[in-house]
Amino acid sequence: MVSQIPVGDVLTQTDGPSAVEAAEAAQAGGGAGIPGARRRKKLGPLFWVAVVYLSLLTLAAIFAPVLPLKDYAKTFKGTNKDGPTLTYWLGNDGAGHDIFSRIIYGAQVSLIVAFVGATFALLIGGSIGLAAGYYRRRVDTIITAFTDATLVIPPLLLALSLILFLDPDAERRIFILILVFVLLSIAPIARVVRASTLVWSEREFVLAARTMGARNGRIMLREVLPNVAPALVSYALIVMANLIVVEGAVSFLGLSVPPPTPTWGDMINKGRTDLDVAAHITLFPALAMFFTVLSLNYVGDRLQERFEPRESVL
Amino acid sequence: MVRKLTERPSRLAVPLLVLIVLWGFVAGPRIRWIFAAVLIVGTAAAFLTNGRYALRRIMGVVPIMLVVSFLVFGLMASLPGDPAINILGPSATPDAVEQVRNELGLDQPFFNRYGDWLGDLVMGDLGTSVQRRQPVAEGIGQSITPSLQLMAYSVILASLLAFPLGVYAAYKQGKRPDRVINTVMLGFFAVPNFVIAVNLVLFLAIGGLSVFGTRLGLKILPGAGYVEFGEDPVEHFKRMLLPALSLALGQSAVFMRLLRSDMIGTLRLPFIDLARSKGLSTNRILWRHALRPSMFTLLTVMGFSVGALIGGAIITEVIFTLPGIGSFMLESITRRDYISVQGGTLVIATLYILTLVMVDFLYLALDPRLRTTGGGLGGGNG
Repeated sequence: MVSQIPVGDVLTQTDGPSAVEAAEAAQAGGGAGIPGARRRKKLGPLFWVAVVYLSLLTLAAIFAPVLPLKDYAKTFKGTNKDGPTLTYWLGNDGAGHDIFSRIIYGAQVSLIVAFVGATFALLIGGSIGLAAGYYRRRVDTIITAFTDATLVIPPLLLALSLILFLDPDAERRIFILILVFVLLSIAPIARVVRASTLVWSEREFVLAARTMGARNGRIMLREVLPNVAPALVSYALIVMANLIVVEGAVSFLGLSVPPPTPTWGDMINKGRTDLDVAAHITLFPALAMFFTVLSLNYVGDRLQERFEPRESVL
Repeated sequence: MVRKLTERPSRLAVPLLVLIVLWGFVAGPRIRWIFAAVLIVGTAAAFLTNGRYALRRIMGVVPIMLVVSFLVFGLMASLPGDPAINILGPSATPDAVEQVRNELGLDQPFFNRYGDWLGDLVMGDLGTSVQRRQPVAEGIGQSITPSLQLMAYSVILASLLAFPLGVYAAYKQGKRPDRVINTVMLGFFAVPNFVIAVNLVLFLAIGGLSVFGTRLGLKILPGAGYVEFGEDPVEHFKRMLLPALSLALGQSAVFMRLLRSDMIGTLRLPFIDLARSKGLSTNRILWRHALRPSMFTLLTVMGFSVGALIGGAIITEVIFTLPGIGSFMLESITRRDYISVQGGTLVIATLYILTLVMVDFLYLALDPRLRTTGGGLGGGNG
């Protein structure tokens, strides 16, 4: 297959000076392209804004049952399609539900599915990628063939078919969602880990460890993994962002967790019928999703940028 | 992995093309779109490279396709539930189930079924959908056109946005315009495209939202539906504009940032200084001299995103009610029409891989140096 360029990488440079630095560094290093090779860049205020937003959302989602939120399933009479008020902070939807509490409870589904999905994918995809990059030859060929083959199938298509064929009556939908999302994320993560393992296992300290008689397993875990891990963790955040989008798409089609549990995609879809009279029904969940995805991408990108300079120090 | 190409151009490309054409005739009209795609790729390859390289790349598709077909078939076969019961409903008698299983060949061992399916596949027969009472290839053939149009328009729109912005941002690197463009584009990148689609409908098709009594928005474009190009070209483009735009915005963000970062590198090379000292205008330097060598990363990613659009625009097709392959697949999935899902996935994957191969050949068109030293910045062996 054709080499994949992680799109996240090129979306990192948001502020001007750093971009110039990056270009200079790339130039100086003969096109090695290590951004900020000399100096450690600051994370910047936007990074912390994103982190705060994500933590608040996560905390709200976790503690939703004990927070003084309105019942997400209750229809408040006479409030259909009302805009934001002091009682109903973000207004009400077509059925008179409180949009604010539905967004918080919707975050539960999105975040759980994305977090658990990305974590398991990290464990499985990480080990597969590590093995492929370290052992090379036949192991690599077989693993690469399979990851490449899964990557040519559009993820949403794969997700939808698996969800509906595995769980036609939506009995265990959330587990199936997680399972499917793990399957979806293994291949991209394995690719990233493999690429980075290929580089790191060429290094002198790996050779040194081998000369001292370290076994393969030990070299992989103690020498290679610690170097691969930082970039991997930041990539996992980007994977999470993608999973939230996929969950949004699946729930937009009404195939995520069944009602009454609210999901962002479903809220956006339901609001479409009232788009001309009460656009806020669609816009608020859309904004919630937008900021979550943006924050995860931004934090992931920034961390990746931050961890990359390790390469140049050695 | 530099491959030395021989001096004789295009000698093996000719028999290759003859083979493909023959296969096209034998397999008949049922796979004419794949056939056409291979033909286009093959011709492009023959023109741009020499035959041995073209042959290698195109033949390299075969093992990947085998793995993909095995994965798709294996996945569908290992799903729980009996397709025969899905078709007949839960109240079917055991005899009827047995009969349908027999008709579908489900009583055969796995590898026999896979072999049969693969054999039919090569001849362009993707099986016949029980639910639709129609050959799968026919269904895909009907729905592929809107999808390919959507894909083409969105890539064109994305490029129209990304090229000027990327070049301009690179030229103004680090300054305010660059920062503004970057920030806005990162925003577009993070919005899921169905959110963009809904917003486009809101602001351009149904008149926007009212804030304190004033309408913020327009009502100038149709919000859904599909009209064939042959029927009414103007209406066709009007209806395709919003769906294409909703896909293009996210893509253009990716394209623009790639172009920008590569371009910044190019602008620092000595030949740009030379061009400037010759007194060429900035525009000429940017567009004629700096653009071409800055396009390689962009092309790779374009290949990926174009390929991904073929079956990945499901939501967009649903929102704008386009009868494309995304809608076809969604319908097949919800009807548990596993034969269609199998066939459709394979066609989508094939087109995706062919797009990637095509991109590899495009490199050769862009960079004459690669034609003699060996192909494919994209590298790899598939």
